[in-house]
Amino acid sequence: MQYVLGVDIGGTFTDFSLLDGDGQIKLWKESSTPRDPAQAIQQGIRALADQSGTGLDEFLNKIDLFVHGQTIATNTVIQRNGPKTALLCTEGFRDIIHFRDGFKPERYNIQLPPPEDFIPRYLRIPITERVNYAGEVTKALDEDSVRAAAKKLRSENVESIAVTFLWSIINADHEQRVKAILAEELPGIPVVLSSDVLPMIREWERTTCTILSAYVLPGISRYMVELEEFLHGNGFQHPLLIMQLNGGCSTVSKILQRPIYTLASGPAAAPVAGLYCSERTGMRDVITVDMGGTSFDVSMVSNGAPELTRELRVHGMPVGVAAVDVHSIGAGGGSIAWIDKGGALQVGPQSAGAEPGPACYGQGGSSPTCTDANVVLGYINPDYFLGGRRDIDPELSARAVDMHVAQPLNLSVPEAAHGIFRIINNNMVDAIRVVSIERGIDPRHYALVVGGGAGAIHAGMLARTLGMTKAIIPRYSGVFCSFGMIVSDVRHDYMQAFATNTGRFDLAGANKVIADLERRAMDDMIEEGFPEGEVTLSRYADAKYPAQIHELTIPIPSVGDLSETSIKLMEQAFHDLHERMFTYNVAESPVDLFHWRVVAHRKVDSPAIAKFEESDKPLSVAEKGTRRVYFGDINDYRTTHIYDGDKLERSMNVIGPAVVEQANTTIVVFPGQQLEVNEFGDFVLNL
Amino acid sequence: MSTISPVDKLGLGKNDFGLLADENIDPITFSVILNRFNTIAREMTLALEYTSWTSILALARDFSCAIYDAQARQVCMMDALPIHTNSLHVILRSMVKAFEGNVYDGDVIVSNDPYSGNTHVGDFVTACPVFYKGEHLFWAVTKGHQLDCGAYEATSVAPSAKDVWQEALQLPPIKFYEKGQPRQDVINMYLANVRYRELLYGDLKAQLGSIWTGRRRMVELIDEYGPVELSNYIEAILDYSDRRTSEEIRNIPDGTYTAESWVDSDGMGNTNLLVRAAVTVKDDHIHVDFTGSAPQGKGGTNGTQGVMEASAGIPILTAIDPDIPHNDGCLRHITCEAPEGTIVKAKYPASTAMATLCPAGQEQEVVWKALAKAAPERSAAGYGGFHCIPSISGVDKRGAEPADWAAMFFNGGSGGGASKQADGWPLIMTSSGMGGLKIISTEMSEMLYPIMMDHHEIETDSMGHGETMGGTGIRIEVRPYDTPMECHATGDGAANPPYGLFGGTPGIGGGNYREYLDSGKRDYCSSKGYMKIEPGEMWVGVSSGGGGYGDPLNRDAQKVCEHVRDEIISFKTGRDVYGVVMHADTFELDVVATLARRAKLSAERGPVSEIQPTTPGSSTWLKDIMREGDRYLLDPLP
Repeated sequence: MQYVLGVDIGGTFTDFSLLDGDGQIKLWKESSTPRDPAQAIQQGIRALADQSGTGLDEFLNKIDLFVHGQTIATNTVIQRNGPKTALLCTEGFRDIIHFRDGFKPERYNIQLPPPEDFIPRYLRIPITERVNYAGEVTKALDEDSVRAAAKKLRSENVESIAVTFLWSIINADHEQRVKAILAEELPGIPVVLSSDVLPMIREWERTTCTILSAYVLPGISRYMVELEEFLHGNGFQHPLLIMQLNGGCSTVSKILQRPIYTLASGPAAAPVAGLYCSERTGMRDVITVDMGGTSFDVSMVSNGAPELTRELRVHGMPVGVAAVDVHSIGAGGGSIAWIDKGGALQVGPQSAGAEPGPACYGQGGSSPTCTDANVVLGYINPDYFLGGRRDIDPELSARAVDMHVAQPLNLSVPEAAHGIFRIINNNMVDAIRVVSIERGIDPRHYALVVGGGAGAIHAGMLARTLGMTKAIIPRYSGVFCSFGMIVSDVRHDYMQAFATNTGRFDLAGANKVIADLERRAMDDMIEEGFPEGEVTLSRYADAKYPAQIHELTIPIPSVGDLSETSIKLMEQAFHDLHERMFTYNVAESPVDLFHWRVVAHRKVDSPAIAKFEESDKPLSVAEKGTRRVYFGDINDYRTTHIYDGDKLERSMNVIGPAVVEQANTTIVVFPGQQLEVNEFGDFVLNL
Repeated sequence: MSTISPVDKLGLGKNDFGLLADENIDPITFSVILNRFNTIAREMTLALEYTSWTSILALARDFSCAIYDAQARQVCMMDALPIHTNSLHVILRSMVKAFEGNVYDGDVIVSNDPYSGNTHVGDFVTACPVFYKGEHLFWAVTKGHQLDCGAYEATSVAPSAKDVWQEALQLPPIKFYEKGQPRQDVINMYLANVRYRELLYGDLKAQLGSIWTGRRRMVELIDEYGPVELSNYIEAILDYSDRRTSEEIRNIPDGTYTAESWVDSDGMGNTNLLVRAAVTVKDDHIHVDFTGSAPQGKGGTNGTQGVMEASAGIPILTAIDPDIPHNDGCLRHITCEAPEGTIVKAKYPASTAMATLCPAGQEQEVVWKALAKAAPERSAAGYGGFHCIPSISGVDKRGAEPADWAAMFFNGGSGGGASKQADGWPLIMTSSGMGGLKIISTEMSEMLYPIMMDHHEIETDSMGHGETMGGTGIRIEVRPYDTPMECHATGDGAANPPYGLFGGTPGIGGGNYREYLDSGKRDYCSSKGYMKIEPGEMWVGVSSGGGGYGDPLNRDAQKVCEHVRDEIISFKTGRDVYGVVMHADTFELDVVATLARRAKLSAERGPVSEIQPTTPGSSTWLKDIMREGDRYLLDPLP
């Protein structure tokens, strides 16, 4: 292994993390180029090549693994600047996206407008056809209605087409025939079939997944193909890998067949990054939090596997496929503290963003933010904010907290700032509770891994409130997600619907479904250039008790054909999981199985990061001085030691209260807590 | 959404915040505890949703969860179904009274009894006390709509039930658990008297799981703060909601405002039953008096105390800032009354099987109409009724053995009313639910039940028109496979459509019918009644959109063109109701001609009406659509 490169395109910056053969990590930033996203990547690569003292060809030739993450697909959806997209649907069912699940949030808010349909009704075109639950055609496909639709779409200059028919998950003939007709009628216009992107029951989720796929496909395909051509034309020898929302990577050719996987893929690398940090300390159960300027993201890893959800939505629309479960709340450094009409202090979800930013930026923001509170409390060093790259004025922070929180509530300024700190901590703890408790998980037994520039200030308090004993702050916590990408596996998910029941199990049918899925999975991997021996396949099924509604996904025996014994094992696996999740099971009941899933993994060689050696230097070498810091345990500031995080070494124990500063991260060690550096260079906060 | 209200902008001095009145209340801890309560209610809700067995709970979410203090004052709730959350205290108080001095740690008390303060027999309440070091401090409570309750017919909302003995197995407050031990004999008696007992047993477990989750989290919270401090903060939280509710109600001009609405029928063939309210706003209090409402009906459309309290409260809670935490502090500003023996407050043993839909819908409607006079900008136009949400049952012969099946079929739900700032939502399903119910997907429905849906789309021109428009109504067509399907329509608001406000027009009302597929003949059914749909026949529902708000001639003309293009309204409606002139093929707006046409229509029409309609039975939908040979069935009996 020589170089590993992770590139993450964000709205403002394109981040690069380069891991070299000696295990050293180098970080680099370019301004993003939204009109031509590949451009910023090319510039960054040239810069990194220059710095390594090699030419572009030589540099790219040395890269063994190149992983790319992006928010372009998500932003296209949120900003609605994608192609003109139409939907073809079963006649009589034009309004699936208008009806959604029928749910309205904010029950008592009668002034809340309903969401706008993502595709207007005149571009949702009914096609005469129908298949029933058993896959039988009850109304033949009327090909004339397809050609008539094509004519209309042509006159409307539609640029991308989604096709979702009822029960295409059981019988996809009509969808496929429509695709063939459209290829004749509208050559060059992309057509996405629901039976390809999400062969799963429930037409709303499948429809939105298909629409979103059709909507993002043209945009991403243009620059990804261009980027890959640039790389291969300049010496790069391997497939370009794209980060996906399931926490794994894919090659460009595969992801263009499943464009939905490019959505919401930014935060999806976080749990993998968290696992990477905690696994080497022996913990495979991890809660990862990532606190940025506007939001706080929580995700979980249980027994080494990221927790996935099928409930993820982008712009209010379900994506349908299994995605890394990232729960996000509006709590970040820029979150604004305010007093509501009844006199209660609230923090967020509104954020001062980058413009005008926290009051201390002096850019005209007068509202106190979480960052301002942290400045007032002495957690943030005003002379070393973002490693000294930004000047901030602590006076402005104090004034904002005083005027908007302390005076109205009759508190002192530090009391008020500490109040803001407590409330945002509490909001974050509630978010963590929601994520863990929904899964029947007790967070106390999990490791907390804290990423994001702002997170480490709060880590000690979050862990304490949750009853955890340990929090890990990775050395590169500021670029957590782009680091996560380079330790992600290649992963593809395959799924097929096939109804059976453990009481009268169709062994031959199930084995055929599994064999088909596994063959597709292996063919794809081989086509992408990964040898069969490096690929692991795991099987799952969605199960429920016959009369039940919601399904649970259970692992099923993953080698060879299923047998009578496997049926018993699957049944037992479901009973066990049901009991864990819901406190009870019905052991005498047979189990329904519906969706069958195969997940293909190709493990990426974990890059070896240089280990930190024991050191006999005294702690004093890392000491930067003292500052007055407020912890809320006594009603006053305390003179507190400040340490340089980059100079902390393995043998050094920092006893709280203390503050440890790095360019991108500040760690607060609260009274009663202790901080050390582990052999991998990560900071471990012991409670 | 909340707006940020910097203190200096509001012009408030620092002592104007009531929070400071009590030296023992730290404003930070206050906010922390307030948020924690929301998390607890949410957790109870998730526990119930994920573990229940019937689609009515697991998919449609016809349930609610809340925490009360030992005096049965609401401390917090998840904003689930307003008809539940605003009335749970009434049944809980009966439970408290029934077991006064005999409440123990580990008890579970249940009830479905409307005459003890429950909403209707379909709603099953489970409550467990929360003890801390021997002291009873709180209640964790859930209410879930059961698929069955042992009525004489297979529906939990029987419109034609004549009395309490026909509508359900009656459960006054009764213990299912005592001191942690199940009273299995009592539970068995319950299960022996309901259909689909395996499913209902699963749902019971889910409701127990939910209240036990609430209990566990409350004990943790008490542990953290201690009972005395926590109770101080709860008082402060209730006071906080109280104070904010006061301020909001004081902004509504004092006075007595009256309004009338009508129930289509009582399930036994008596039509247009009057519901009347006089709403008196005085300082920070609102009193709703339903005196003058019709005598109680003969079928299941009567209400009792619980439904009345909830229905009086729902429109008022939508008129105050939705960010105010909903608890006893809000509810204490609202009182109501009705004479016994009326449709609003029936006399035992009258049936109240449908109460949460009807008369609840009409009770809410009259309060809303009255509020429209007092506070026009905080009111809403009418919400569609429930007549396209039948209880369906039958026998499923697709599997190895025939199996009984039943479902409440929410997919034909009606639209919500428009408000000053927003169009109505589709599928809002009455103002008792306010959008808290979910639909079951077509594919899930066809997999779970032996039915086929042929159509599920917006019905053109089904909503009320206005500057803001009602949520869309729906046409839904359902066919059984090879076994008959029994359909109980259990709604209202077909003959009496959702009203329009300030020039806005009413929704269509709509209806439901059985169509014989060979002859095309139809039997139209009133908003309640029983029809059996045999193979070769189809059930069709056309639900009403919500009422419109404000003058349609003021609606954004460009939007009107888009609605016509999208076939949400017809070209004719665009031209005649909205006064918009557009190209018939391209739907391009003709700005000049539209201005002229709107001016002309406005002059011809004169001033707009405050509320439409003003007379009972005003829907013309049925008259317009019925053809030679079709029949109309008023409240057909099983």
